[in-house]
Order: sequence, then structure tokens, then C-alpha cells
Amino acid sequence: MNRKHKSDLVILFTTLGLMALGLIVIYAIGPMRANVLNTTYGTDYGPNDFFLGQLRSVGLSLAAFFLAFKLIPYKYIQKIAKPLLIFAIILSALLWILSLGGSSIVKCELGECRWFQFGGTSFQPAEVLKIALVVYLADFLARKREEGKIGDFKEFWIPLIVVCGLSLGLVVVAQGDLGTGVALMAIIFGMLLVAKVPKWQYLLMLVIVLVTAVGSVAMSSHRMERVNAWITTLTGGESTDSTYHIDNAMLAIGTGGFAGVGIGNSVQATGYLPESINDSVFAIMGETFGFVGLFLVIGVFCIMLLRMLKVASHTPDDNNRFLIIGVFSWTLAQVVVNIMAMTSLVPVTGITLPLLSYGGTSMIFIAFAIGLVLQLSCYTSREGIKHENISSGGRQRGSYHSSRRRHS
Amino acid sequence: MNRIRALKYITLAAFAIIVVRLFFIQIIEHDKWLAKADEQHTLLETITAERGEIYMMDGEEPVAVVLNQAVYQVIIDPAVTPKDQIKDALEKHAKEYLTADLDEVYKTEGLRYYIVAKNVPYTNAQKIAEEGIDNVWLKEGNRRVYPEGEMGSTILGFVNSDGLGQYGVEGSLNNILTGKDGLLKSISDVNNVALSIGKDNIKIPAEDGKDIVLSIDRGLERGVEEVLAGKINSTAATNAAALVMNPKTGEVVAMTALPGYNPGDYGNVKDASTYINQITEVPYEPASIFKNFVFSAAINEGKMTADTTYLNTPSIEIDGNTIWNAEQRAKLNNQTITMRDALYWSLNVGSIQALKFLGDNPNEITAAGRERLYDYYYNKFRFGHATGIELIEQEGFIWEPHAEIYGLNAAYANMTFGQNLSATMIQTATAFSSVVNGGVWRTPSVVKGTLEKDGSIKPLENHEKTEDQILTAETSATMRSLLVNNRSYKARAGIDKAGYDVGGKSGTAQVIVDGAYDESMSNLVGSYIGFVAPSGQMPEYVIMVKMWGEGKALSGGEAQLLFDDLSNYVINYLKIKPGGV
Repeated sequence: MNRKHKSDLVILFTTLGLMALGLIVIYAIGPMRANVLNTTYGTDYGPNDFFLGQLRSVGLSLAAFFLAFKLIPYKYIQKIAKPLLIFAIILSALLWILSLGGSSIVKCELGECRWFQFGGTSFQPAEVLKIALVVYLADFLARKREEGKIGDFKEFWIPLIVVCGLSLGLVVVAQGDLGTGVALMAIIFGMLLVAKVPKWQYLLMLVIVLVTAVGSVAMSSHRMERVNAWITTLTGGESTDSTYHIDNAMLAIGTGGFAGVGIGNSVQATGYLPESINDSVFAIMGETFGFVGLFLVIGVFCIMLLRMLKVASHTPDDNNRFLIIGVFSWTLAQVVVNIMAMTSLVPVTGITLPLLSYGGTSMIFIAFAIGLVLQLSCYTSREGIKHENISSGGRQRGSYHSSRRRHS
Repeated sequence: MNRIRALKYITLAAFAIIVVRLFFIQIIEHDKWLAKADEQHTLLETITAERGEIYMMDGEEPVAVVLNQAVYQVIIDPAVTPKDQIKDALEKHAKEYLTADLDEVYKTEGLRYYIVAKNVPYTNAQKIAEEGIDNVWLKEGNRRVYPEGEMGSTILGFVNSDGLGQYGVEGSLNNILTGKDGLLKSISDVNNVALSIGKDNIKIPAEDGKDIVLSIDRGLERGVEEVLAGKINSTAATNAAALVMNPKTGEVVAMTALPGYNPGDYGNVKDASTYINQITEVPYEPASIFKNFVFSAAINEGKMTADTTYLNTPSIEIDGNTIWNAEQRAKLNNQTITMRDALYWSLNVGSIQALKFLGDNPNEITAAGRERLYDYYYNKFRFGHATGIELIEQEGFIWEPHAEIYGLNAAYANMTFGQNLSATMIQTATAFSSVVNGGVWRTPSVVKGTLEKDGSIKPLENHEKTEDQILTAETSATMRSLLVNNRSYKARAGIDKAGYDVGGKSGTAQVIVDGAYDESMSNLVGSYIGFVAPSGQMPEYVIMVKMWGEGKALSGGEAQLLFDDLSNYVINYLKIKPGGV
């Protein structure tokens, strides 16, 4: 392993910046959200409850972030990869079994049971599954690579399909959580790609998964409805109840125009746009900050993600590199699918926008994952790794990896 | 190909697509979304102006007789409102206010925001609200309340379900009572609560309607209605109307026609004609009451006096028509009698004689006579014109002196005793007031004005009041003495109290049935008009009554009995002090 050096400041500051932006947005629209819920459902939220909730989430996320970044060496986590995954799978399975029994510690919304509920706090086991799968796959792929078994049917594909199938089954089928399913798929495909699975096998798997996905969507009336709604919106058809969410997301983004209506002036957040503080926060930001604001937000995500790739390409250790790619794929999937859903480029799946959406578990775990990437960024080598060389990588001026700061 | 680089390109491609998409939505389609947002977010709400209340007088104090009560509409959204709960709640708390069959409402597809109950009082609405059913809305509105029931319905009218005043002052002064609705245009949240965010918010406050104070005295109105109701019970009459006005000011202090109706439950009448104001909207033939007017004209023109005499024949032939006196007595027939006696006995030949005098030829009706009578009837007493009272009116009809009809002179002969013409009670009473008040024709009025915030009463704008000296004071004094003379036997009988001058004149009108006067006399409308004054002083009140019924014979004598009761009631109720005897 390479000598430890300073971590990647770009990833650090983009992460912190996005969290801060999330806080500002929730601060602005939290009171409206509280008002809407109080009027519609007779709840009793105070105007600052959502801001305080987000503040708590950000606090916990920062703790998780620095825990992963500074305190828990990845090699320890690496060692418990398998038990961690088993634990995560058991947790999800337990949720499913308890939900069948109608347990009081399972929280269901709109018929989907995805949360454990302990008093006032809820917790989504699918998030644990995501990080556990990333850690496990990194370890698994690195081992198989070392053994030269990548692509081997019995030694590689069978265990992989069992593990991934189980995870996906629990999330997509048992919890009905297509959003997390998409994120898991992205994680799996991203990591397999970098693990150098033979091209024909990779493409075959892609085809099989696509066919399965299309099939499962076509089989489910609930999912078909979403796809129909998406096509309707995309083709400018008549609004219906099922296009309501996406219509209003587009309306929010569209009214934002070039520069946005400004903080606190969002009308769509006053109840028109569902999930305005969670999954739809991007649309509210579009209304508030306009094209300029969204361009900057997307830019920040893009820089962060490219930076992760760069760190990966300079990480000689397979396991570490695969982990970074796993976190990258996870983040990319959530960012792209969320934003594309809000702009009607893909059907709505119900996925959070990392670091910006209101919601505890999701932010805490992705912060933890990014923290791990940051930790690993301290162990990059000067040169791009031989077999994964990115020619432009080491030569970027002013980057952390430039010679100027190499020995600092 | 380098696989991490592939991921880099995938990332860049995904973000590029998103940026292009955002550019399309936010820059190119911006206006389209703004228009959609405007449609979705703009709340246009009418701020309903509160309708003015209506007051009558209680002595010197205005008292409300028409009020507004807050009532609620219950609105549901069949798509989301739980049916069983709302059905149960409405059955329990608003059964009698339901406006729709809930089963039907829920069966009909596509219904949103449906009004299922109306006019629900506050307490009932409160109970529905307490049930806490989701997606049920209570919309506040106002309902007209008439605490006096049927009292004053003739003059009050009602407000229909569209909030429009109908009949009475509710109808005639609808504009003043209604006020002006305001408008609220603002950006609103999803629950239609106005937000302060928008730049184009508009709020035009409502101008509430004005409170109207009538000159009607509530207690007197009630008393008059009771007296009338008694008469309907004890005589053949099915209908009766009465009017009490102050001849010095033109102010009407009581006006009623029975049977009335309850304006708060206006739908519950047998016949829509019940709504019509019999005093101002129904011209009829007041009959011999009109003798006062031809006498006034002839005296005022100096063509005769009360002591002028003529030869009274039992009947007279004009244009081939024989006109008879109703009174056929030996001491009158073919005797030379005074005009005073002619009026006392209500002789038609006598009133025709007055018209002859008016035309400068005691032997026949002349064109000049017709012209002068027309001038008095139409121009001075203003028959054939609306009086200008603050109510819906009919104008009635007077033949012109050169009208191209067969038997014009016969028509004019009839017009001297109030037939072959039509006039409303308010026209007749107003004209009569000028006969007895010193000769001044005054616009009659039922409205004192609008009640202002400080409690003062401000006269209505745009309501012109005319004062026109149409007769000399001497003519008026002569007429008063004739009218008091008409009732001399009432005074002798003690019916008219000592200390008061009470004068009057009856009228019994034949009714046109199938295009001709019913000669069988089985269909008669009885009227009486008179005044009460402290002895030797000017009249304080003019009282006119009318009694009728389909297929019923009601004579002026019967109406006179009603007047007797009313004149005494008015003297007592209004505490008119007796004059020096």
C-alpha cells in the first residue's frame, strides 16, 4: 500500500457544500411543508421542525462521514465484509417477515413497508444493504481477481448471482423499493465493469437484467402506471392523477426560469408538489434557484463524481478501487435517476437526491460511503495504475495529484 | 477501452443530457410553465358584500326587521370524502338542509366539490365540523332572516336563492342593499389559502350594502295588519289592503295587503300574485273616491262651490249610455240639490255635473271640460304616472281628452266617479293627500334613508321628491269640510271621536267581467279613503283601504267600516292629540 498522504479536498468540500445547500433549501421550504401537512392531515409540525430535523440528519451524517473518513480504517471494515452483508440481508429479511405479521415496529407508507420504527426515529434497512453490498462486492471481486476466477461460472457467477439476487429480491420484491433496486443494480454493474468481467459476459448480463426489468415493469400495474404517466408527460399529453407528481415537478423547474424565484418564494413547495422536501427537492431548487442554480448543483455533483473516478484510477489496490467505484456508482445512480425523474427523462421511481433530500438514513449512509472514499483518497499513487491508466489523470494541472503537492 | 474512462464518459453524457433538458424546460419552455403555474396558483375569489339590513321605525328609533344570519354550505369531494361518515353526519346534523341525494352524488362519475347542503345554521355546521371528517368544506354565506314573519311582507319583499332581491324594497332597492362584491386575486397554496408571495396580488374590498330605514312604523304596521285580518275573517272579503300616510310629508307609515306571506319561506305561497304589492303595483278602478278629484278641480277652477246647485235626475243619458245614481231616494230624485249633498250621497249624476261645470256648460260635457279634467287628473294629481315612491309601481291609465274612441264623453262621465280609468292605491292616496293637505302634491315615500355608522339617517341619493301646489289652500279647506260632512252621521253616532275632524269618501267599483261591467253587482270592490285631523287643524294622516274577493261583492260601505276601525286605531296608536272643539 502507498504511503498515506492528504485526502482529496475536492470531494470533501463538494460533500460539505451540498449538505449546507440542502440545509438552506429545507430551511426555506420547511415551514411551508409543515403548514401543508398541518392543514391537510391535521398534524402539529412547528415551522422549524423540518429544518431542525435536517440539522440533526446533517449532524449525524457529518459524524458518519468523519467516522468513515478518519476513524475506522477501511481494512477493518473490509475484514467484516461478509458478516456485514449477512447482517444487512437478515435485517431486510426481518423487516419483510415482521411486515407480514403487521408488527408495530415496521413503518409502512402507501402499502410499502420499508422502515423500522423505534419511537420517533425510523430507519431504512435497504440503506445498510447498499453499503454492505458495496463493501462485500469490493472484497469478493478483489479476491476473485486475485484468484483469477473472474468470469468463472461456478466460482464467480453462482455466488454473485445468489448474493445480488437475494439483495435485489428483498429490496425490490419484498419492500417494493424500485429506487433502491436501481441503485443496487448500478452498484453491481459499475463494480463488475471495473472488475474486468469479460465483455461478452457483461453484455449478456446486461441484456438479461434489462429483459427482466422490462418484464417486471410490464407485470406490475403499479409500475406500468408510472411508465404510462412518464410517457404521457414526455409527450405532453393530458394531465391525470398519476402524472400529477411529475407535472408539478416540471412546473416547479419550469417556473424557475433562468435565475429562479429566490429563496422563500417557492409556490410549488406550498403543497402542490408532493415530496417537496424529499425526493422532489431538486424541483424546488429549480424553482428557487433557476437554471443557473441547478447548473451549479449539477456541476458540483459532476465534479465530485469525476473526482471519485480519478481517485479510483489512482488507487492501485483492487479492493479499495472497487469500493470507490461502488460508492461512485451508487451516488451517480441516485443523482441521475432522481434528476432525470424530476425532468421527466425517466419514470418516477422514488429515489432521494444524495446529501440534499430531507431524510435521515439515506443521507447518513451515503455520507459514510463518501467518507470511506475520502479515506481511501489518502492512499492514491502518483501514477495512474498500470492496467487502469487514465491518460489525462496524472497530468491535470492544479489537481491534488500534481507533482507540486505530491510530498506535502 | 479503459473501463474507468468509460464510466467517466457515461457520467458526462448523463449530466450533459440533464443540462440540455433543464435548458429546454427552464429557458425555452419557461413561458409555458409560467402560464401553467398562473393557472394553478392563482386564486380568484369574490369577497361577498354583506347585504344591507332593513329597519322600520319604532316611534323615533329604527328597529331591524330584516337581518342576515351566517349560514353554511356543506361541500364534499366525492372522490376523496369518506361517504359513510359524511352521510351519517349530514343525517344527524343537517337533514333538513340537504340539497342533494348523497347516493346519487357518489354514483355520478367525475363530480368534484359538490354542494350537498345549504343554509345550514352555525350550530349545525359546527357539529358537522366537530365530526372531523376529511375533505369536507363549510363555506360561510348569509341568509336573510325576517324575524317578524309575515308582518310587512307587502313592503319588504324577499331575497331569492340567487341572492337577488325580489318585490318590495328588497327588489326595488336591491342595488343599495346589495353593495358591491370585492375581489381577491392572489397566489394561493394547494389548500387555496392566499399567499403573500405573488407580485400581482389584488385585493378589492367588498362594499357592504347599505342598511335601509323605512318610514313604516312597525307597531302600527302590525296593528293595521291585525285589523285587516279581523275584517277578512268577519266579512266576505278574501283580500284587504290598507295604506296610512302622512299628507304633510308624503311618508307612508303603514302599508299592507293581506293575505301576506313569510319572506323567509317565500316559496310556500299558493299563488305567485301574493308577492305583488297591491298598493303600488295593481291599478284598479277606485270608483266614487274619484269624485273628490273632479270636485276639487271644478272648485279650484272657480266653476262651482259646495253650495252650487243642480237638478239631480235618477239617471243620465250620455252617448247612448244610461248612467244611474246608486242612491235612489225621493228626496233626491228630480230635486235641485247642492254639490255638497251630491258628494254626501255619492251621486254619479252630481259628479258628472261637476265635469259639466268644469267645461263651462252646465248642460253638457264639453271638450274644454274634458281637457281641464284631464289636466287635473293627469298633470296635477298625476294619475297615469308613477308616483316616484321607492317601490315597484304601475302607472295606471287615464283617457286623453281627445282620444279617438266611441263614447268619449261617456268615458269621461265614468271617470268622474272613478270608473273607466285605472289608478293604484298609492296614486289615489297621494292625490287625496294633496286634496286635504292644503293643496300640495308630494312624492310619497316609504324610505327614510340609509342608516349610517353614526346612527344618523341619510336620505337616499337620486330620489327626487316633488312638491307641487296644485290646489289652492281654500279649495283644500272646502274639500276637507265636504269630506267631514260626508261622515257627519259617523260623528253623530260617536264613531268618530269628539275633538277630531275625520273626513272620507267611499267607493264601490263594478268589476269588468268578460269585457263588460258586471251589472249583477255580485262582483264589487269596496274602497274608502279619508283623513284624521285634530279638530280645526290640518290632517295628520290619510288612510286608504280596499276590500275585495273574487266573485265577492264588497261595497264602499263595508270598506268604510274598516276605515272606522283603522282611523280610531291610528288616533290611539299614534296618540294624535284632539283639537279644540
